[in-house]
Amino acid sequence: MKSVDPITTEIIRNAFISIANDMNATLIRSAFTPVIYEGKDCSVALIDEKGEVLGQSLGLPLFLGNLEICVKLIAEEHGWDYFKEGDVFYMNDSYMTGTHLNDSTIIMPIFWGGKRIGFAASRAHWLDVGAKDPGTPVDSHEIYQEGVRWGPTRLYESGEPREDVIDLLRRNSRFGEATVGDMNAQVAAGRTGEKRLHALFDRFGVETIAVARDQIFEQTEMLEREAVKALTDGVYRAEGYLDDDGLGSDPLLVKLELTVSGDAMTIDLAGSADQARGPVNCGITQTIAAARVAYKLLICSDVSPNGGSFRPLEVTAPERTIFSAEEPAACGWYFSSLGLLIDLVIKSLAPILPEKAAGAHYGDSMVITVAGQDPRNDNRFYLMIEPTTGGWGAYDGGDGESSLINNVNGSFKDIPVEIFESKYPLQLLSYGIRQDSGGVGKYRGGNGTYREYRVLADSDLFLWFERSKTTAWGLFGGANGLPPNVTVERPDEDTLELLKVNGIKVCKGTVIRSLTGGGGGFGNAVERDPAAVRQDVVDRYVSMEHAEKAYGVVLTKSLDIDEDGTRQRRAEMRIPAA
Amino acid sequence: MSKYRVSADIGGTFTDIVIEPSDGPVFVGKVPTTPENPAGGVINGIKDLVPDLSDVDFFVHGTTVGLNAFLERKGERVLLIATAGLGDAYTIARGNRHTLYELRYRKPQQLVSRRDVHEVRGRLSWDGQVLENLNHADFDPIIEKVRSEGINAVAICLVHSYAYPVHEIEAREILSKALPGVSISLSHEVAREWREYERASSAVMNAYIAPVVQRYLSSLQQELHEMSMNATVHVMQSSGGVSTADSARRNPVFTLLSGPVGGTIAGTALSAATDRPNLLCVDMGGTSFDLSLVMDGKANATLETELQGLPLLMSIVDIQTIGTGGGSIAWMQNGAMRVGPQSAGSIPGPACYGRGGTAATVTDANLFLGRLGSKSLLGGEMHLDHAAAASAIENLAPQAGLEPTPLAEGILAISNAAMADAMRTITVSQGVDPREFVLVAFGGAGPMAAAFLADELDIQEVLIPKFPGTFSAWGMLQTDLRHDFTQSFFRAAGDVEIEDLNSAYTALESEGRATIAKEGIDDNNISCQRSADMRYTGQEYTINVPVPAATDIATIIGDFDSAHERRYGHSSPGAPVEFVNLRVAAFGEIQKYSHTDSAEPENGDVAIGEREVIFDSTRHTTPILARDKLPATYQAAGPLIIEEQSATTVVPPGWEIEVDRHRSIVMRRRSTE
Repeated sequence: MKSVDPITTEIIRNAFISIANDMNATLIRSAFTPVIYEGKDCSVALIDEKGEVLGQSLGLPLFLGNLEICVKLIAEEHGWDYFKEGDVFYMNDSYMTGTHLNDSTIIMPIFWGGKRIGFAASRAHWLDVGAKDPGTPVDSHEIYQEGVRWGPTRLYESGEPREDVIDLLRRNSRFGEATVGDMNAQVAAGRTGEKRLHALFDRFGVETIAVARDQIFEQTEMLEREAVKALTDGVYRAEGYLDDDGLGSDPLLVKLELTVSGDAMTIDLAGSADQARGPVNCGITQTIAAARVAYKLLICSDVSPNGGSFRPLEVTAPERTIFSAEEPAACGWYFSSLGLLIDLVIKSLAPILPEKAAGAHYGDSMVITVAGQDPRNDNRFYLMIEPTTGGWGAYDGGDGESSLINNVNGSFKDIPVEIFESKYPLQLLSYGIRQDSGGVGKYRGGNGTYREYRVLADSDLFLWFERSKTTAWGLFGGANGLPPNVTVERPDEDTLELLKVNGIKVCKGTVIRSLTGGGGGFGNAVERDPAAVRQDVVDRYVSMEHAEKAYGVVLTKSLDIDEDGTRQRRAEMRIPAA
Repeated sequence: MSKYRVSADIGGTFTDIVIEPSDGPVFVGKVPTTPENPAGGVINGIKDLVPDLSDVDFFVHGTTVGLNAFLERKGERVLLIATAGLGDAYTIARGNRHTLYELRYRKPQQLVSRRDVHEVRGRLSWDGQVLENLNHADFDPIIEKVRSEGINAVAICLVHSYAYPVHEIEAREILSKALPGVSISLSHEVAREWREYERASSAVMNAYIAPVVQRYLSSLQQELHEMSMNATVHVMQSSGGVSTADSARRNPVFTLLSGPVGGTIAGTALSAATDRPNLLCVDMGGTSFDLSLVMDGKANATLETELQGLPLLMSIVDIQTIGTGGGSIAWMQNGAMRVGPQSAGSIPGPACYGRGGTAATVTDANLFLGRLGSKSLLGGEMHLDHAAAASAIENLAPQAGLEPTPLAEGILAISNAAMADAMRTITVSQGVDPREFVLVAFGGAGPMAAAFLADELDIQEVLIPKFPGTFSAWGMLQTDLRHDFTQSFFRAAGDVEIEDLNSAYTALESEGRATIAKEGIDDNNISCQRSADMRYTGQEYTINVPVPAATDIATIIGDFDSAHERRYGHSSPGAPVEFVNLRVAAFGEIQKYSHTDSAEPENGDVAIGEREVIFDSTRHTTPILARDKLPATYQAAGPLIIEEQSATTVVPPGWEIEVDRHRSIVMRRRSTE
């Protein structure tokens, strides 16, 4: 085999990443729905002829490292010759792709000189795929309620669109035109990848690219294995609970055992809850992806992912758990389980990676949905869906961020008050940072968020809030953050406290107050620099009472530090309770 | 008697000056920037070039005073006043992340800390009803704090003020009465658009830099006046237009990016003069390069941007910065070769700067290969140390398993390919194909890399303008006065009567004309351009569509459909469309001299020497040409090195040049038949 000089290899490596970036830019530019072009709820990958990643743009973290598994699954089922020049495949089957049916995976084989040289693949969240309720129902218990399920299906054959199949897609969405628009954007992203990969092969040829690719994978694998090898060998465990399955079940256990042995790492999920009735399940493909996200957050974070990246990592789960769901398990809100899993992987590694780890964050999206008819607008149907921010975990050397979107979401932005009130018959009474909600510690967990809505027209309320049972934990003596809480004050009726609900009536005048959780603290609170506690009080992240009670920092009325009082209070706190 | 039009581009290290006499060819100068007294450097630079400052007719400059105050976080302490219950919207900053793989993510550092955000009661509904009157008593503790803590700048952003500013105006009355001398920035005056966080951020930025920019402009005006320069001082704005210093003092935020936009505006002038509608403008310096687009003769603009993650709502020329340049360092990682992203910057700089840098950089590779000469000037008076460059390259070569020469060529190949990749991704996200563009390269390092970038991007033609090192300053002389006006107009397009639309535009235009007239422009020389931000109902983001003065709603909707198709690759004719904002850009034409600057070149030999230069692993004895001796219509084939005071142009084998009547170098790939 011929050898390739390091210059050519580097040009080819950069080109792989750049091709993925161009595919991503094409997808975002041509997508129809804001969840893709604004929320960036999408991901693309350039994949080689055997299903290994050449380049990936760092899109939605949760989609990292799973597009190539979809390619391999198709090949496993049908053989590699199943891919023909001019094909474009669509699939959304949760048990293959791992995620919910809204996530559309589109795969295009790329040929050059009659030979298959790779694949362009993308995944994007489609607004509606024909579930029983608009978007993603919160109370489904079978996948058939969550939309139309597709195995790998050709949208294009010999370069020609299969209009009958595309029509079927269109007819099975409440927003059919947008669905086909987003599909076209994904196809366009694939064409961009194809065009640029052709140009790269024209320039360097099959053999040079193959050798360079192998070198790139080896170099990446070597970097990754060195990083894993530097970790202390051992078995590390972590566990936590999902509140319920969305249908009122008992808490669901998420349990993992992580083994570091030499330059390899395994994550085993044995002991995690069996497949649940409610929509908190996912396919193993997405579980692997989530484990890779956690891995990437801690190890070689600055190395662009490719076929060599995850070779040191193996992920296993027994059959029919929430992480390895099978038909007909519901998967609509799969990311709650995965968000917890990601946080737990980080927790398990914290003892040996204290310089990289952080306390847990508030969890996942904490989605509030209000729908109804808008009297200001001819009683037209309106649908307000809003993920909510919360507190992130503290780390060695820094406080957690407050009111930040969760780790499994993309580039989500909150809806500004001015847009919100103009678009929906709702008024935002208050919106802000929830004081004292971050876990205390030498470094403070970030605070959660409050958002208070007044309903101006009779509507329906849907809620998906999580992590009240396993709140965001602290590390190395840091305390947990506060759990989320939602109250619904209805005129002339009882006030409700809820976290999950599927469509209760909220009449005009109802006030909904949502509180999200804080992040975990890091280190012991009595070691926090009193000056930092004082700053927190001045900036209203921490109340005076909390400063004294939880941090042992006594402040005078004029917010100066009472040195004697602080010394005394902290001495009391250091005495372990009998 | 000669008169002069003068521009100055005040950069971080050098101030570029361009002088256009009424009766002769343009000439340029470069003086060190004097950061401690920015006005001083400019004045000294002009005095050296123009004997009598009273002969200056027109003076415009681009300043980084405001930008530097921001970047160094040395602006004014600002107190922000917000609507009760919603003050945290500013600190929460919409809750999003800019990078997705960071467990320890922190939001961008805001200019106002939470302790200085204060709330006042008083609430308007989305459609302007007063739900609660502005509570005057809530201002008392704020006034007390501003007084006792010596705060000089206050920003006010109240919810729904973009459409209904009544409470903001009332708040200013209360404050200015109680706090004379304190600078007050109202969000609806800085940015009349919805989204309270972005508007507050814009108003805060204005308040933050206002005092320092105001002090600077006043001192510049006064000093120039003392030296009998009576021409009005103009300032370049981020929008690509200019304003008078007096007007810039009111909303200094509009001057924030006043330096770099000059290059793009120069590009539009070049586009018009040479009849090339689509230009890719590359401004390359030592540590990074700026990319901007001229499409159909117009600078590609945007209506919002972010600086260090902080949003700004304003009309601004869209300039993308790519972090690769002459300082990018070559290094090895596990047997793999990398170039950048680390840069040697200007201190210590590339090894050849002789300032203590030892890492091999792109500039060292250029020097090692002979593309740069030891006496080449990189926009300054600096001698380059060939031996230091060679030793940096030779030290790295064994690690890469290469001879020094292929390594040096390899460093350039990797960096050129990476720059081209980044450029291509930007064009893809704009929906354009780089092959349909002419590459315009300027700045100290642009002309050296231009042909190689064009090769990577399959671009056929490259322009190296005259005085590439001071192109941005030249651009400032080509522009007109400009002020932008916006009104929120949130309506379904199908329900809008053309009369309503026209009267809204007329109101904005009279505001615009009045503002421009105040700057001393005759009404005949004032023009206005209408545009609207529109979108399909249900979309979040808008597209700005030009609106001709005489039109109808259906035509506007059709224009929106076409603009959507261009921008996003698809459109939905017939789908409901809504207006979000109406905009008017008011222009005041600035009188320019009527002669062209195609002066004869200086006498003397074009060829000033030759040296060994390596291209494609081969040594070529390459002629060195003097740029200022090249006459119009001059033609030659590469390899060539063309040197001038502020830049070096590299013409590789396979390329040829022709000098056009504006004395730009036009480079084309030689046809292969």
